[in-house]
Amino acid sequence: MKGFWPVRLGSIGLAIAAAFLIDQLSKGNDFTQRLVVLAALYVTLAVSLNLINGITGQFSMGHAAFYMVGAYTAAISTLFHPELAAKNPLLWLFGMIIFGMVTAGIAGLLVGVPSLRLRGDYLAIVTLGFGEIVRIVANNVKFDTKGGSYGFSVDVHVTAVWLAWLFAFSAIAICRNLLSTARGLTFLAVREDETASLAMGVNVTQTKVTAFVIGAALAGGAGAILAHFEGFASSNMFTMDVSFIIVTMVVLGGTGSITGAVVAAVLLFFVPEKMRDLPDMPIGGITAFFILTGLAVAALRYVSQHYHGAASRKAMIYSGVVIGSVIVAAILGAALNAIPAVKLVPLVEGAKLRLVVFAVTLIVLMLLRPQGIFGKSEFSWDWFRRLGKKQEVATS
Amino acid sequence: MSLLQLKEATIRFGGLTAVNAVSFEIQPGQLFGLIGPNGAGKTTCFNLITGVYKPTSGDILFEGQPIAGTPPNKIASRGICRTFQNIRLFKSMSVLENVVTAGFLRHKTSLLSSLLYTPAVIKETKELEAEAMQLLKAVRLDHVAHVCSADLSYGMQRRLEIARAMATQPKLLLLDEPAAGMNPQEKQDLNGMVRNIREQFGLTVLLIEHDMRFVMSLCEQIVVLDHGQEIAQGGPDEIRNDPKVIAAYLGEPA
Repeated sequence: MKGFWPVRLGSIGLAIAAAFLIDQLSKGNDFTQRLVVLAALYVTLAVSLNLINGITGQFSMGHAAFYMVGAYTAAISTLFHPELAAKNPLLWLFGMIIFGMVTAGIAGLLVGVPSLRLRGDYLAIVTLGFGEIVRIVANNVKFDTKGGSYGFSVDVHVTAVWLAWLFAFSAIAICRNLLSTARGLTFLAVREDETASLAMGVNVTQTKVTAFVIGAALAGGAGAILAHFEGFASSNMFTMDVSFIIVTMVVLGGTGSITGAVVAAVLLFFVPEKMRDLPDMPIGGITAFFILTGLAVAALRYVSQHYHGAASRKAMIYSGVVIGSVIVAAILGAALNAIPAVKLVPLVEGAKLRLVVFAVTLIVLMLLRPQGIFGKSEFSWDWFRRLGKKQEVATS
Repeated sequence: MSLLQLKEATIRFGGLTAVNAVSFEIQPGQLFGLIGPNGAGKTTCFNLITGVYKPTSGDILFEGQPIAGTPPNKIASRGICRTFQNIRLFKSMSVLENVVTAGFLRHKTSLLSSLLYTPAVIKETKELEAEAMQLLKAVRLDHVAHVCSADLSYGMQRRLEIARAMATQPKLLLLDEPAAGMNPQEKQDLNGMVRNIREQFGLTVLLIEHDMRFVMSLCEQIVVLDHGQEIAQGGPDEIRNDPKVIAAYLGEPA
């Protein structure tokens, strides 16, 4: 096919260049490096869960389990073959990523085959339970004195930011490739209507299991990278919270959108980290902030449901509401802080406020945009081409 | 040899016999009608043929081979495809994507090549899209190929269902109330379209319909069901004058 190889090699080259650029930019600071690696792993996890939850429409809540299977595979393999691992750590990590993908993929198959007959909340409960079972089993895995609830130390420590990002890019590419083909459309069809998919010759069970296994395998690869980056793997790194945060990333980005999963993973990972620097604040200001957030959300929802005029006018009203609420919040905050009794209350630590603000942000987003940031759409260059053009209208 | 043969096909749901010993044969190339009052068991009959249900007793032969109990997706690849009474499109997908999805059952490329997006897969996807566009032309939906299927009008959605079923390249096409909710003009269009499709693609069509004028003008052979029983079979003229059919539709004369 003409033009295939230039495009293919070009995009692979671009991905490698981007991965190394991120590596270079994050160099020098251990803390930044750790954040950047974890961000890559969360991108991989969100994209892989999106394949299951978003694209194929099967609500899985135990993704951390597959992440853990990958990490434990790498940790235990390293424990048994330390000299082999130490010989060439990078090559070993490559091998462990693949091995982790295989074991997590098998785990995905074992869970998927019996449980994918269930739909919706039933599947969510089963996968949630599976996640806990795996964690508790791992909590009790011991070799001599190693393991158990302390986990395993992974003595072959590899800091390869570029590899983490390259793996994330590969996960994105795999999902994107799949969706560009007719086979990918059958995954969407299963999400849309199982009965109709069957009647059109789609093997629904096989499609669901395939999505589950691919998603699990990608999470397993991320787990192997994590184990070698952190230098240890223990069961308390993979609690239910991790599964929940991955689900939140997928839902917030827009269930079914790969772009959304990537953007939400980066946002949800970095925003809480950045908010550690939040300054200490007086209670009056905080109260004013929350009251006005509530009022602004109510106003924005009202406008979006009742105003049907031109889009530009609507955007102006929206920004008016937002700017207005900020101003009113500032005035109200200052007024409340001026009350003598309020002055006596000590400042609230910014670091403690962090998670509250985070939770409120999520609630606000879900109220204003329940379909997620990107809905079901993907990033495409066509957006720029289509800017300003009218939408197509269906007529018979 | 007949294309499809039902031999005393029966299905019971608990105490209810929804379809009771129904037998008929469809010859290749026929336009075959299945009619009857509401609750007569017509759609259940479709569900038996397409593998949604397994008959309690009796046989269903397609091209001489028994197909009763085969899963629906296997039956689709054998060459029987259907539309649904209550439209079941893949709503969030575009018109073209709906048709391409159905064409996928003839794929030859592997999962791995899809994940790697190899030239072979790109070629296959392009071919499926080209075929899908042909089908969309046949049902006059090519101008809305990239519109989201949920945004189509009712009549267009019905036509898209036909195009999607056609994409599996069936030998036998089952249409479940294709004219439901259409106005007389749309029904006439549909009549022409079904005939066209049969000529163009050499299909056999089995259809369920309530509109008598529509069925009588389109079908060459008709089976009438009532309360799961087959009460009459024959050409349009025989059916029109059959006292049992008149009784089933209009009630017994006083």
